[in-house]
Amino acid sequence: MGLSVENVSKSFIDKKAVDNISFKIEKPGVFALLGTNGAGKTTTIRMMLGIIKKDSGIIQWNGKDVDRKNVNFGYLPEERGIYPKTKIFDQLLYFAKLKGMNKKEADKEIDYWLERLKLKEYKYQTAEKLSKGNQQKVQFITAIIHSPELIVLDEPFSGLDPVNTQILKEIILELVDKGKYIVMSSHQMNTVEEFCDDIVILDRGKTIIKGNLEDIKDTYPITKLEIVTKDDITSLIKSEKMTLKENKNRKYIVQFSDRTQADALLKKLIDKNISIEKFELLKPTLHEIFIEKVGEN
Amino acid sequence: MKSLFTVIEFTIKEAVKRKSFIISMIIILGIIVIGFNVPNMISALSGDDNEKTSILIIDEDNIFGEELIEINSSDEDYDYTMSKKNYSNEELDKMFENKEYDSCVRFKKENEKIVIDYIAKSLLMGDSIPESLLENFQMQYTAKKIEEAGITPEQLQAMFTQFEVNTIQTDENAGTGNILVMMLLSIVLFYAIYFCAYQISTSITTEKTSKIMEALVTSTSPKMIVLGKTIGIGILGIFQVIIIATVAFLSAKTFLPDGILDSIINMSNITPTLCLVTLVYFLLGYLTYAFLYALTGSMVSKPEDINSANSPIAVLAVIGFYLSYFSMMNPASNINKFAAIFPFSSPFCMPFRILMGSASNSEIITSILILFITILIIAKVSIKVYSSAILNYGTKMNFKNIFKICKSNKD
Repeated sequence: MGLSVENVSKSFIDKKAVDNISFKIEKPGVFALLGTNGAGKTTTIRMMLGIIKKDSGIIQWNGKDVDRKNVNFGYLPEERGIYPKTKIFDQLLYFAKLKGMNKKEADKEIDYWLERLKLKEYKYQTAEKLSKGNQQKVQFITAIIHSPELIVLDEPFSGLDPVNTQILKEIILELVDKGKYIVMSSHQMNTVEEFCDDIVILDRGKTIIKGNLEDIKDTYPITKLEIVTKDDITSLIKSEKMTLKENKNRKYIVQFSDRTQADALLKKLIDKNISIEKFELLKPTLHEIFIEKVGEN
Repeated sequence: MKSLFTVIEFTIKEAVKRKSFIISMIIILGIIVIGFNVPNMISALSGDDNEKTSILIIDEDNIFGEELIEINSSDEDYDYTMSKKNYSNEELDKMFENKEYDSCVRFKKENEKIVIDYIAKSLLMGDSIPESLLENFQMQYTAKKIEEAGITPEQLQAMFTQFEVNTIQTDENAGTGNILVMMLLSIVLFYAIYFCAYQISTSITTEKTSKIMEALVTSTSPKMIVLGKTIGIGILGIFQVIIIATVAFLSAKTFLPDGILDSIINMSNITPTLCLVTLVYFLLGYLTYAFLYALTGSMVSKPEDINSANSPIAVLAVIGFYLSYFSMMNPASNINKFAAIFPFSSPFCMPFRILMGSASNSEIITSILILFITILIIAKVSIKVYSSAILNYGTKMNFKNIFKICKSNKD
């Protein structure tokens, strides 16, 4: 079950865009496809959706080769596009019908999603009158209106304000609860961390890291510590020969080379009766892993 | 198949709602109605001017004798007054000044020749002696001289017997002179190609520019999009032509004098077979150019590049259009035989050749077959290029690149 990408490659006129990449999405959830600009993410997505043909490899959905005719995918492209002179309702109905829905079903779904994404007042307005963020929400509706099994979202949050970002996040989580498979490509690492269980990072067409995000993080040694306290503990940190990376609003980010240093600091804080609000060993963030891995290349 | 109808429906709805479509239709229909009303308007404008032009006719040398001329009074625009008196130019000028006469025709004899002076106050407007009056004088003078020579009216009629000309053609299948209907069809086909098929490339490039293509090709197949647009715009074009033709026909019937329309458009030579063949050529011609325009629309990335990309196709259409007139003038020439087979000109030329009876059945079948195969090839290439090049934003497409992209995106 799920999506399987095996040893897939694709070259264009003068460049190898994707070089022998493989990954699997075996259960519903959000899968992150990450990489720098030009890493091959969009080409991979386009091959997954059957927009362009792969040179080699296998892409299967539920055990069958991917062909646009036999899969029910939803896609929010990175290149946002909309009919500027067409009313929102008309373009949503057009896409819904192209995806096989009848008028009655489409009407119901359009009303539901316009309400859900706070766009109801724009139903009969032309798209050019909407803000960029609202246009993006309309496109998001075109991607999910037919309730697809696999949804590909290329940079879904770019250009959205915090309120709309939150609405979109809630909808994505709802879709996961409904058993949908979501592939998300984004440069916002904190958002990806919030949603994604599994990731693949591409660089210049090649896979440089892939797997469960927490498992990946576990392979990295813990070298950072976060302490939140009202007291000044700078001297104690220095006494343990640790480096203070950040000290802001009662929050201390401390770097160490050996785990025993952290244990020793904790013991000292307790012995000195310092009131500790938070003491947490920090796993490396996705952002740090990304920078480190892509930086290496 | 369902998505094909969805694309057709959307294409038609979008095109009909466009302001440019509505405005151009209103202008075209307005021009037609006004055009057919021009004769009525001219007569309405000149209707108030009921005053006849008064002309003084002076025969001072008594050229026409005593039993003077009976002026043909059927000419309603002029009033004639005859005089044998000799008036000086000053006297005439005074009469013109007093509005007694508008102009004067003076006959005089000079060395046995008859000289006519046409005198008016001002000749700035290019005034000259009315033709009808001149003819009348000539006829009466001739009649007078013939009578003087003693020839009877019967002898005169025998002398001037007019020949009656009949035209007979031996080939019963051949059409005859009135090819106006075919010329109109040729113009309509050119219109369909130039204005309707052209919209396909604009529509594709606009979707490419607005970046909606990517979502569109994941919603349905490129084949359905290209076919849907082509058929949709084609249906709209036919709908436009029907409206324009109906308004033109009704305007002609309503505003033109009875019988004029029938005398201009003689439908007697238009057989059902010819209609059918013409319709087939019309549709195939439209499809040929429509798919060519889909190809150019897919190749360019910016709306401002459409015109330059489309110009070679427009040139092809113009050549085809003018070759059809050449067919009309010279149906037996070799260039016309070629033009009737060549797929980019045959839709314009072949209906003319069929109407004129110069096309054999085998020529018609060959021509339709070549046209059909050409359409299939162009459609396949267009759809291929559309699905490959449509995602190439920004990169300038040339045929070498297109070939490479199509090859790399091979099924």
